[in-house]
Amino acid sequence: MEQNIGPVAGPAGLYVHIPFCLGKCSYCAFVSWPCRRPPAGYPAALLSQARQLAALPWSRQRCFTTIFIGGGTPTMYPAAVLNELLAELRQLFAISPAAEISLEANPDTLRPELLAELRRGGFNRISLGVQSFTDELLQKIGRRHDAVGARQAVAWARQAGFANLNLDLIYGLPGQSRRQWAADLAVALELAPEHLAIYQLTPEEETPLGRAVAAGELVLPDQDLCAEFEQDARRSLLTAGYEHYEVANYCRPGYACRHNLNYWHNGSYLGLGAAAVSCLAGLRLMNVASPGRYRRLLAAGRAPYAEAEALGLAASFRETVIMGLRLRRGLRLAELEQRFALTPRHYYGTILDELIAQGLLVMDHERIALSERGFALANQVLHRLV
Amino acid sequence: MKNIRNFSIIAHIDHGKSTLADRFIQLCGSVSDREFKDQLLDNMDIERERGITIKSQTICLPYQAADGREYVLNLVDTPGHVDFSYEVSRALAACEGALLLVDAAQGIEAQTLANLYLAMENDLEVIPVINKIDLPAAEPEKVALEIEEDLGLEAERIQLCSAKTGKGVPELLEAIVKFLPPPEGDPDQPLQAMIFDAQYDSFRGTIISCKVANGQVKAGDQITFYSNGISHKVEEVGHFRFKKEPAKALAAGEVGYIIAGIKNIADAQVGDTITLKDNPCAKPLPGYQPAKQVVFSSIYPVSTEDYEDLARAMEKLTLNDASLTFQKDSSSALGFGFRCGFLGLLHLEVVQERLEREFGLSLILTVPSVNYHVYLNDSTMVEVDNPAYYPDPGSIQRVEEPYIKATIMIPERYMGAVMNLCMERRGVNSNHHYPMPGRIEYTCELPLSEVIYDFYDRLKSLTQGYGSFDYEILDYRAGDLVKMDLLVNGERVDALSQLVHRDNARARGLSACEKLKDEIPRHMFKIAIQAGIGGNIVARTTVSAMRKDVLAKCYGGDITRKRKLLEKQKAGKKKMKTVGNVEIPQSAFLAVLKSDEK
Ligand SMILES: Nc1nc2c(ncn2[C@@H]2O[C@H](COP(=O)(O)OP(=O)(O)OP(=O)(O)O)[C@@H](O)[C@H]2O)c(=O)[nH]1
Ligand code: SF4
Ligand SMILES: [Mg+2]
Repeated sequence: MEQNIGPVAGPAGLYVHIPFCLGKCSYCAFVSWPCRRPPAGYPAALLSQARQLAALPWSRQRCFTTIFIGGGTPTMYPAAVLNELLAELRQLFAISPAAEISLEANPDTLRPELLAELRRGGFNRISLGVQSFTDELLQKIGRRHDAVGARQAVAWARQAGFANLNLDLIYGLPGQSRRQWAADLAVALELAPEHLAIYQLTPEEETPLGRAVAAGELVLPDQDLCAEFEQDARRSLLTAGYEHYEVANYCRPGYACRHNLNYWHNGSYLGLGAAAVSCLAGLRLMNVASPGRYRRLLAAGRAPYAEAEALGLAASFRETVIMGLRLRRGLRLAELEQRFALTPRHYYGTILDELIAQGLLVMDHERIALSERGFALANQVLHRLV
Repeated sequence: MKNIRNFSIIAHIDHGKSTLADRFIQLCGSVSDREFKDQLLDNMDIERERGITIKSQTICLPYQAADGREYVLNLVDTPGHVDFSYEVSRALAACEGALLLVDAAQGIEAQTLANLYLAMENDLEVIPVINKIDLPAAEPEKVALEIEEDLGLEAERIQLCSAKTGKGVPELLEAIVKFLPPPEGDPDQPLQAMIFDAQYDSFRGTIISCKVANGQVKAGDQITFYSNGISHKVEEVGHFRFKKEPAKALAAGEVGYIIAGIKNIADAQVGDTITLKDNPCAKPLPGYQPAKQVVFSSIYPVSTEDYEDLARAMEKLTLNDASLTFQKDSSSALGFGFRCGFLGLLHLEVVQERLEREFGLSLILTVPSVNYHVYLNDSTMVEVDNPAYYPDPGSIQRVEEPYIKATIMIPERYMGAVMNLCMERRGVNSNHHYPMPGRIEYTCELPLSEVIYDFYDRLKSLTQGYGSFDYEILDYRAGDLVKMDLLVNGERVDALSQLVHRDNARARGLSACEKLKDEIPRHMFKIAIQAGIGGNIVARTTVSAMRKDVLAKCYGGDITRKRKLLEKQKAGKKKMKTVGNVEIPQSAFLAVLKSDEK
């Protein structure tokens, strides 16, 4: 009977969104609400959705190889709540014993005991939103910690036993100089994380920072300077032995984030929590963004979805290509063909030749990938393939 | 017929015509409070956004006068901007009277004069009206003196009102009935009706706006257009109330509309006379003076497949805008399109916007030009309004360009700034006099090519809005003109060529290069932009290569959003024109002419 089918149909990821932070950073366009204390009822709602999803035959055929609790600031909740949540998920889903279990955290909410407890609870990877080690810049973008706090957080995480640690860094901050950026990179390297996510600040329209930029009140470093920042980062991290494995991600060999790799492979995953997205069986479902509505819908036994999207085969193929090209190694042609019965060569035709001739794309018998130059100009390639 | 009054409201721009029309409409109870909005007759989106009238609008109001009689007022609200004076002259031909509005704080302006002269040419009875008397800066006595002395109108006739507060408006309605004459005309004569406007409706065909001079017309009649002899059966006639209101018939003296299942756009022409097939009139009514186009530019669809749609849209639009002309054109850079003649730059912008909005097209307009007379070595003359067709300089003996006489009214303190502006623009023979203490009427002869682009805007900003401007075409004069080409990565873009005065060539070239540089987005390669005259490069600049274009991060939650961003980027590219391997945005083609003086 169906009930007894064990995990057979390939790996999947599990994402849990905690949409609360102590404050709101001025550039933040994520689904996250500022509050002193996160609502006590929210974790229960997460579990109700988990139970709904766990009941699907699709989920019962899957082995989950990664879990990522992100936000917002998951560490707004006490370690006990997060550990309990993890334990419940282990009950509901088939979680692989070697699973990568990540937790996102902001330095403003960390204490040594909390980290130690989380480590004991089974989290084996931690991602810290440090963004910068320059206090003046941290203040400008409304972060609630300083450089000392960030270093402290890393030290505590290490003491707690986290052997797989990521730091998020942002460049292109208002008024940022190359000297400041070089200093940030130096501190990051000194802290020797296994993984670094390095990305350019995007002034999203609906944020205070975005509005200030649009109104001309705030000036961000221009394209040329950002290209320098990017190159500075790349140079020093490659020299220090990191791999630049995705447009915005670096890692020590073997430490690529498996949970995110699944996104870039356009794989399957379940998303729990406000605004979280699930992608299963060719269907993409987005949960409602408001945590209150999310709780009410689940309390009423209803599904918490706000939007669904089912792409056709060709659209899904294109999406897989543009996601996969974000990876340094690009996509394996055989895998694409197996999944979609389409090949880039036939599907894109001359566009592909043009991009190759422009030196933005490389393709051999095995793989298709962005060239080194194409990496910095990825959108110029991706918008033609989308 | 005794109880009909057909009149226009005319004035300089912004003196309150449309606002006064609002008050008339409300006082005559023609529209419910719910339907009412300010400047009710400005019903095009562009008019509402820009706060100006572009097209004349007719509305028919029932009015119960103090003498106890019922009158029918056909009022036409007209535009005030110089580019649309053709609209005013068309409106005036359907009227017996006009209200000449003068802003009580601004006094007489350039278009006050120009529109008064138009009214006089049409033998209209004129009532001068001083508006905006509620303004703190209003000086009605001073303005009344100007009206009497400068315009030569009778002081006793002057009415005072505030279109905003409604003060004086009831008295004004009485003055209209009292001073303006009713239409003349004989209802028993054969039908003679003047088409003064038309509009295409995809369900009902062309809707004709007309004024019946003689005879009458009703549903069921077979009407014939005098100029082409084509006949149609009338389906409906009626008046322009707040909405179109069907009527039994339109009789001599009345203004209204005719719907006659006219699906062929070319059949009904503005200015033509309508008569009855069975009982035609002996001769047509005097038509309109054709509008004189002074600015020329080519319109191309951004995507070449849209050419047919553009062709249909042009036909429909010219029906509603008789002052626009067009003929086929082609460009090596842009493909097939139309060379169009406009009455001015604002007119050009309005046409572009209407085509884009009303017909859903995405367009490129080429650098505007005036009409040049080019005398060749064999003494023949060719008219050139498109720099792309400028003859080989070796074959040219001389070139003449149109000159205008500009009339500029300003408070005295701006005299210096305005003189400088005119000198910069190659002005000659300037003159000035003081119609009133503190005010100057400055006249100057200028090459038309120097004023078409941003002269009016510059004047407005130099004079903080107090300067007004009118012009008439004078004559053609020799000029030392050269054709300036723009090259993008070595490739000449014919649509960007312009004729410039030799002395200004280098400066113009540089400014055009800089403008293009600002407009063309960075590409993956360096782009050289050059301005050349003959074989010589006179200015150059570069758009440096794009170095970075990448979406910062992309995880599971926002795959859909990031994909949509890329799709948007892709769609944006479609709005650009590829020349060689460079994508040039729509806006670049007009931007090159903008001057960069602050
Ligand atoms: N204070 C005051 N403002 C007025 C009066 N009449 C009009 N206005 C204002 O003047 C501005 C221009 O009014 P419009 O009625 O659009 O002027 P117009 O003459 O129709 O302008 P165009 O159609 O563009 O030539 C608007 O902001 C009106 O509110 C008035 O009697 N008093
Ligand atoms: S910590 Fe992250 S999620 Fe929270 S407000 Fe700042 S940017 Fe947004
Ligand atoms: Mg108006």
